[in-house]
Amino acid sequence: MGEGTLLRVIDLKKHYGETKAVDGIAFSVANASVFTLLGPNGAGKTTTLEILEGIREADSGTIEIFGERVGRITRSIKQRTGVLLQDGGFEPYLKVREILTLFASFFDRPLPVQEILKHVALEEKAGALVRTLSGGQLQRLALGAALVNDPELIFLDEPTTGLDPQARRNMWSVVADLQDRGKTIILTTHYMEEAEALSDSVCILDHGTIIAEGTPRELTQAFGEETIVEFRIDDPSRKALGGLQTCCKQYRVDGGAVTVETEDLLTTMEELFAWSRREQVPLDSLIVRQPNLEDVFLSLTGRRLRE
Amino acid sequence: MSALKSLLLAELRILMRDRMALFLTLLFPLVFILVFGFLMGDIGDVSRSTMGVFISTDLDREELEAAVAAAGTMEIVPFGSLAEIKEAVAAREIDFGLVWDGKQLDVFYDAARVQENFAFQQVATGITTDFNLRRQGVEAALSVDVIDIGATSSANWFSLVLPGILAFSVLSAGLSAISGHVTAMKERKILDRLIVTPMRPVLLLVAVAGVRLGIVFVSTLITLFVGILLFGLRYEISWLRYTVFIVCGTAGAMGLGTTIALLVRRPSSASNIAHALSMLMLFLAGIYFPVEFMPGFLRALSVAMPLTHMANALRYAVGVVEMSEAEFWAISASFLGIALVLFPVLARYVIRPLRH
Amino acid sequence: MTGILRIALAHVATAIRERVTLFWFLIFPAFVLVLLALIFGNLGEEGEISFELGLINRDTVSAGPIDFAEIVEETFRSLAEPGEGSAEPLFTLHQPNDDTDVEAFLDSELTALRRGRRAAVVVIQAGFGNAVFGSYGQASSDSAKLSVYMTTSNVASQMATEIIEQVLAGVDREILTRGGRYDAAQAIEPETVWLGTTGEETPYVDFVLPGIILMGFFVNGLFGVPGAILFNRDRKVLRRYWVTPLSVPRFLAGFSIGHLALCGLQFVLLYLLGRYALGASVSFASPSAFLLLLLAAVTFLAFGFLIASLARTTQGGMAAANILNMPMMFLSGLFFPIAGLPFFLRLIVYANPLSYLAQGLRASLGIETSVFTPTQILGVPLAWIALSVVIASIRLRWDVER
Repeated sequence: MGEGTLLRVIDLKKHYGETKAVDGIAFSVANASVFTLLGPNGAGKTTTLEILEGIREADSGTIEIFGERVGRITRSIKQRTGVLLQDGGFEPYLKVREILTLFASFFDRPLPVQEILKHVALEEKAGALVRTLSGGQLQRLALGAALVNDPELIFLDEPTTGLDPQARRNMWSVVADLQDRGKTIILTTHYMEEAEALSDSVCILDHGTIIAEGTPRELTQAFGEETIVEFRIDDPSRKALGGLQTCCKQYRVDGGAVTVETEDLLTTMEELFAWSRREQVPLDSLIVRQPNLEDVFLSLTGRRLRE
Repeated sequence: MSALKSLLLAELRILMRDRMALFLTLLFPLVFILVFGFLMGDIGDVSRSTMGVFISTDLDREELEAAVAAAGTMEIVPFGSLAEIKEAVAAREIDFGLVWDGKQLDVFYDAARVQENFAFQQVATGITTDFNLRRQGVEAALSVDVIDIGATSSANWFSLVLPGILAFSVLSAGLSAISGHVTAMKERKILDRLIVTPMRPVLLLVAVAGVRLGIVFVSTLITLFVGILLFGLRYEISWLRYTVFIVCGTAGAMGLGTTIALLVRRPSSASNIAHALSMLMLFLAGIYFPVEFMPGFLRALSVAMPLTHMANALRYAVGVVEMSEAEFWAISASFLGIALVLFPVLARYVIRPLRH
Repeated sequence: MTGILRIALAHVATAIRERVTLFWFLIFPAFVLVLLALIFGNLGEEGEISFELGLINRDTVSAGPIDFAEIVEETFRSLAEPGEGSAEPLFTLHQPNDDTDVEAFLDSELTALRRGRRAAVVVIQAGFGNAVFGSYGQASSDSAKLSVYMTTSNVASQMATEIIEQVLAGVDREILTRGGRYDAAQAIEPETVWLGTTGEETPYVDFVLPGIILMGFFVNGLFGVPGAILFNRDRKVLRRYWVTPLSVPRFLAGFSIGHLALCGLQFVLLYLLGRYALGASVSFASPSAFLLLLLAAVTFLAFGFLIASLARTTQGGMAAANILNMPMMFLSGLFFPIAGLPFFLRLIVYANPLSYLAQGLRASLGIETSVFTPTQILGVPLAWIALSVVIASIRLRWDVER
């Protein structure tokens, strides 16, 4: 294992009968980096993560973690990792402080509970029963439980699903902060912006296999030197659409949204305007942008990340 | 299919799949009478007891034997020594033992049989009294004629317990229909989803009530027949009164369930409170043991419980106790009245959104 | 180690704070204890039980200087006097007024008896006084008649009738003594002998307190254990533990310690209630009693795991617990004597660990001698523990199906 690689996964497989949830996945995670598994629901992200968290057993494959080659995650490995589960409950009749003290007691060298309360901004709620907490507060408590042992490697499974934009930004800054402090983070998400904003490297997963990997920039650049033009038309069935073929080589129509990919922006724009004037089709909500991971996924699979 | 029919079908399916509610309404009464039928069938019935006798002298032997024989239909076992009879009492081979040595009459009881010794003591006292009279060659001056004017000639306590348990299952069904089922629907926001449709809330309540009523009928009838077939209980069921009471009782219990649902803030607590209350009532309503056995203040409490009156009314409907016709109809009408008064309130509860 | 203890503490804290659990494992057993002790503990004692009695005297013609019918009435009236303090009298009498039609009154009394408003109706028949007086002269074939109307189906009526028969037997002796035909001094007074370890009658509360404590442990294990495991598994509370170094065996250890602590709490509270509020005198301070209580707590803990392992859904598990609750509790001799049961019910009694624990505990407390041998008393619960451990270790799932 190379220097600076904290985790390597080799040919990981998990099948449920006919279903291949995880079908030969391999990747490496560098020390102090943020590694993201990106993919739609059902891609195998959570299954993979749960195998690495030690609550699911792989059918086959190797895991190299903290310099050791293991078949499954042991308790001593768990001493050094922190896990934020995608879903999970806490005892409703315990208090916040009691939950953190409880989790702290599972580790050999936990942080002081007061420090964790401060870190996740739950000091005021320290004496509150879990059943009285809001969704965001519960997520912060879960984060606190995940960080109680000051872990080297942190798993965040869909950490911002269901959170409002403000809470999402808070989580992003938490991730950035953790990375600054030298932690290694493995995160799963189906939000492309999240993957782009946070990750040092991304693996795109679909149907249990990796279909692309690299830094966000590498992935979008592999897409080509193209620019994306998007606009909306009011009546998608208009015969006028036929005329688009002459001006644009690659385009997609999805309901009322038209997406055009081009390598020569200037020429395409001129032809689009001409077509619009000719056919009397207004170009609503016209956007010109760089390709993103959503586009990458779409071009690889023909489907969207988010249904 | 009309809204009512589809609601009825849906409610039926839901109830069939709700194992707790199904259990409390269907199985609980059955299991209860199966277990208790054998345990309680003989309570207070000393004719099934066994008495040992050891007479070590010929003095007054005949008189004692005559007194013993006259005491009733229990089984008499003669013993040959004091040690043997004491052993037999301790080993519970006999229920109590009588020993006469010409001067002293001793009665041996097992100190641990606290619930039964009272009845045995009564028997022993009767024998002693009779023996003393016979010894002095005297016949009783008084002749006491005990006449049973009860409704069913071979009725025992268990035949009263069974309708009491049926009353409990009616109470549970009605309570859990509202403080259980409807409150759960409210908590899970299912009610909200239904309200935004053109469905009329009244129909939902009718469907809930209708299905519960059907289940209660089926379960009480099954339990009744098991009691009759398995334990030979004899009832004279007035089907009119029985039906009337099941309907009014279930409705009234639903009214009580509504009261709980309105008073309790969290809908999820309502079913726990309803269950706890019905269990407490089960003990205090004179179903396990007669109300007369309770101290004064508990007796007063018992009268205030709906279950007590439900049990009495149902006992009357199956013919094991007597009650004035007026009282029966008054009880039924009160329960129905509770339901009718609270029904519109319940409909409003169903419509009101859940607020924290 | 401290992780285990904190799991134990969490288990206890949750049980106490969750009002539903608190009710069923503490308040309800306390309620049953108090109720049973109040009712059965005082059965037959004066001031605790009271019967409504109708009393009618049809004997209007008095033959001699003594009105014997009046003696009977007086006896009953004295029993209807309030006792010391505020104790209720044994009978509350209902008698016709001077101007009431006696026959009509009898009819209404009999109706009241049928409707359960009277325990019994006593009628002194016409010619009573004459018959008594006549018995003084010669051996008369006409004995003085009384009728006691009652309803067999009503236990209270049965009991009242027995008491009335005793009262009348006393009047009978009184009459015979006055007539010089009976010598009370010569009567044999029976000696009551209580066979048991103390030589005295066991107070009811001493008999029932150990049973209620066992019932508390039983309910705790039957409902509390599957409830905690199944609901926490469903809510994925347990899953949060498994991603930490906390292993299943350590979790189990903590859970079991917590459970035993709750049993200890039940014991202390019920014992204090029984001892200081209800006057129980039974002492649990013997090693064998302690051992049996511990064995009981562990047996029901294991049994709870058994249910949690066999349940396919959480709802099904709790329904199973509810179904098992009553038969196991009552077919164990805890509250009702179990003699004379048909074969298939006796099978349940013999398979039921609670039967052995109840007998064993009462025997170790000196309340009764057990029909089971010590081998059986220890062996059957231990067998259940072993069975539960085996099945749970194979079948108990610690995480939801995926």
